[in-house]
Amino acid sequence: MTVKLVDHDALTELFNIGLHRAAASLSELTGQRILVELPRLWVCRIEETHLRLRQLIEGELATVHQIFMGSMTGDAILVLEYEAASRLAALLTHGEIAADGRLDQSAREVLTEVGNVILSSCLSAFGDMLRVSVTFSVPRIHVESLEGMLRSLKVESEELHYTLLAATRFQLTEGEVGGYLLIAVGIASLELISKSLAEREG
Amino acid sequence: MSPDEPLGMTEHESLTMLHELAQILELGVLTVDRSLVVTGCNRWLAAASEDAVRNLIGRPLLDAFPELRGGPAELALLGALGGSTTVWSHRFHRYFLPLPPRPSAGDGRFERMQQSAHIMPLVRGGAIEGVLVLLQDVTERVAREEQLRDALARAEVASQAKSDFLASMSHELRTPLGAIIGYMDLLENEMVGPVEPLQKQYFGRVKSAAKHLVHIIEEILTFSRVEAGKEPLQPEMVDGAVVARSVAELFEPQAGSKGLLTRLSVPEGPVMLFTDPTKLRQILINIVGNAMKFTESGEVGMCVQSHSDRATFVVSDTGPGMTAADLELIFDPFTQLDQSLTRSKGGTGLGLPVSRKLAHLLGGDLLVDSVPGEGTTFTLWLPIVTRATSALSSTALSEPLLN
Repeated sequence: MTVKLVDHDALTELFNIGLHRAAASLSELTGQRILVELPRLWVCRIEETHLRLRQLIEGELATVHQIFMGSMTGDAILVLEYEAASRLAALLTHGEIAADGRLDQSAREVLTEVGNVILSSCLSAFGDMLRVSVTFSVPRIHVESLEGMLRSLKVESEELHYTLLAATRFQLTEGEVGGYLLIAVGIASLELISKSLAEREG
Repeated sequence: MSPDEPLGMTEHESLTMLHELAQILELGVLTVDRSLVVTGCNRWLAAASEDAVRNLIGRPLLDAFPELRGGPAELALLGALGGSTTVWSHRFHRYFLPLPPRPSAGDGRFERMQQSAHIMPLVRGGAIEGVLVLLQDVTERVAREEQLRDALARAEVASQAKSDFLASMSHELRTPLGAIIGYMDLLENEMVGPVEPLQKQYFGRVKSAAKHLVHIIEEILTFSRVEAGKEPLQPEMVDGAVVARSVAELFEPQAGSKGLLTRLSVPEGPVMLFTDPTKLRQILINIVGNAMKFTESGEVGMCVQSHSDRATFVVSDTGPGMTAADLELIFDPFTQLDQSLTRSKGGTGLGLPVSRKLAHLLGGDLLVDSVPGEGTTFTLWLPIVTRATSALSSTALSEPLLN
């Protein structure tokens, strides 16, 4: 199977469903209207992910990482550049948190919760489509380099792994922030997703 | 790509170890079964809840804490039974369990213990048996953060009050000085009767001193307006070379009287900028005036250049120059490097800070380079933008101007 066999439009729609749910939850949580857009989506082999990410992001990153298990297993990560992460935390809290650009404990807690909402919403959209339940590990926030983040994705099995990489844009009342959503899955999970998408479209 | 490494223990051994760990954790640990009946809690939570939670074991959690019913806490518990892990940050939820704050925590600010929480499935043998809730008491930290925010807000109010005071005082001072200058003009020009040459000389000195005071007040006024984010911008298409030439002409008499050479270098064509010409002129007058003031011999030069994305105005002198330590101070407001110069050369110490702030306001910057004993070079750069692409707007006056 090649990545071209995944219906790009259908996958985009699926991500949009997840992000729409995430935006609704975040709006309710924060009391302000939040939109989460998906400007672009890439599917690539996990070995090629770093090349793609190096073109897109630089410097220190703030990542929220969750492992998901069930019929579909893998890693889900919200990736934000450090400055974007602190700006997002500040926008979400009307400048009460991270207004000085630093990710202190409170800012990290806020981002962990936001990351958890986004990752769970997207993966739940996948789970609903596949009609399987997905369980999640506790989300963890890290401030790390791109290399550090990619090391945490170290694949231990022989199975081919792919990355679904979605560029996201958070639009809030007082500004917008860009970030990335990375879902790394094995070929078996990707085939499952691809098959379900095809059935859905058909 | 795998969950955390197993510890190579039997399930019973793992559970025993986790139980022991839970007892010594500085976190609240609460477990409920699939019916949300409390099945356990650790020592920390028992103590923090004044044993209320321990007494709940065997009872439904929502009966004991009715305020959790129907709200996000119940949703999170039910979500965990479906496999979801929920994280609660303090900022959005304040607390998960309504518990009293620990004595002395939070400076009496809060009626409830402030918490962050993890609500996750309790999985045994692959099946979700219930929910595990981890609570962290963040009361102390949140109180510290709130104290800091309050202090910052007070400082901002004080800073705003200072700026307002400066602006209004400067205005109040400028008005009578205008009258002094006007009346001195009348006297000096013999509009109210003949005056002796010595009297004329004295009237001239009073007028000159009053004009100097007006200049200082103008600097303070501009500084306080920029600080307060109230300096208005009126951008238009401007030829930077024309502005530079007019400033150079302004200083020719002063250069002549000090015996200084002046040099102006501008490109053949215009250097078109969409900027506020008054502000550009004000910056150039400040830095050229500074160079004239401190240079006793040699020359003061200005070179205007146009690059693809910016225009630069480089003002260099053969004055006394500054050390690296001095250079760090010159953009600090109210700082003059050698306080004795304040007396001999005059000035508020605001000229350069105001100039840099104005440069930022125009989307550029003012940089300095200097060698002690050889001279100083100030470089003002401004972006070359067209009217259509300019971020400068005469209407965006209430925006913060700096940083």
